[in-house]
Amino acid sequence: MGTVYVSQDDSFIGKTDERLTVKAEKKQILDVPLIKIDGLVILGRATISPAAVIELLERKIPMSFMTGTGRFLGRLEPELTKNIFVRRSQWDAAGETPKAIHMVQAFVRGKLKNYRASLMRHLRDYPDNDLQKWIDDLERAIDSLATIKAIASLRGVEGHGSAVYWQAFPKLIRADGFSFTTRNRRPPIDPVNAMLSFGYSLLRHDVQGALNIVGFDPYLGYLHTERYGRPSLALDLMEEFRPLIVDAIVLSAINRKAIAPKDFTSEPLSKAISLSNEARKVFLTLYEQKKQSKFKHPVMGRQCTYQEAFELQARLLAKYLMDETDKYPPLVMK
Amino acid sequence: MFIVISYDIPEDKRRTKIHKILKSYGQWMQFSVFECELTDAQYAKLRSRLSKLIKPSEDSIRFYFLCACCQPKIERIGGEQVRDDTIFFA
Repeated sequence: MGTVYVSQDDSFIGKTDERLTVKAEKKQILDVPLIKIDGLVILGRATISPAAVIELLERKIPMSFMTGTGRFLGRLEPELTKNIFVRRSQWDAAGETPKAIHMVQAFVRGKLKNYRASLMRHLRDYPDNDLQKWIDDLERAIDSLATIKAIASLRGVEGHGSAVYWQAFPKLIRADGFSFTTRNRRPPIDPVNAMLSFGYSLLRHDVQGALNIVGFDPYLGYLHTERYGRPSLALDLMEEFRPLIVDAIVLSAINRKAIAPKDFTSEPLSKAISLSNEARKVFLTLYEQKKQSKFKHPVMGRQCTYQEAFELQARLLAKYLMDETDKYPPLVMK
Repeated sequence: MFIVISYDIPEDKRRTKIHKILKSYGQWMQFSVFECELTDAQYAKLRSRLSKLIKPSEDSIRFYFLCACCQPKIERIGGEQVRDDTIFFA
């Protein structure tokens, strides 16, 4: 099963028999059976035929729309599942409830532990790099989580942990020509941030899809507060996956020189940096390969892909909310 | 399950129709030969669509099922490359 990425501008997405076809400049550039597709991501301008939209909705294949540079615009997806009980338990836990506190602790713990693991892995491979003080700092933040019972303070720990990680992040980049001083977005103004932002957009497409399959309302979150049009729960669940998937492929793209500084173009006024068409394809391929890569899930104890892990984590979250388990275990990789 | 489908259909129009249906389920490897990776439900649907179309007196379609241990033993020399199903770009 795969995701279709349409990045050719002014292309036409249609349906022939039970296949999705993409045409551009009067030429057919893609023809894939719908049974092989589990997601459609449209980057930039494309037209999609009504027949194709209906077919995709009926087959429960979500469509995401992004700008050519990867800013998330919106999503068209099949009806929410009829499982009202999941949504009710999700609403019941909203606010400063013990369940919400537990989940926020878990999201933050998952994220920070994965941050620490990625720094430690780097330190193991390159022992002369001075990362220990940041690792210790993250360690302290993780230790403090269990005792903090206020969501606002937990958000503070998360912010502190992230700040520590982004301070250490430049040390992980080993290719010439890339510099990273601080995380910036809207718009990202250097190549590293551009790739991170693009990756997080893609990740959000996948996590929100998984939440929808399980039956959650993606707009009610716990770590992220409610804001108009913000899929807070998707952002919550994304936290533990950010370092595992996006940061990892950004670093490997840079360090293995799959993407070079010349692969970026800059917008004159806003200074926004974006990936060139070719480099974007390289990045999308890396992302997709990462998603399909297998690992042993520490809680379920069996092999799964990251793609499956999105849904597994969402289901674990549902189980916790519906009192079937007494803990939500975030995905933490050693 | 992994299925190799071959067909022999004398009439051009019907053969084209069969070819178009099969393209929605698998990959065209050679003239009159497709390889499909399908679930039971997908196979049932494909089979019923094909059986409605053909004239059993003249046409024939064969489905060869390959077990999981035989699948990696397929050898290929030349011809169509196997499609990578994990990602599609356009």
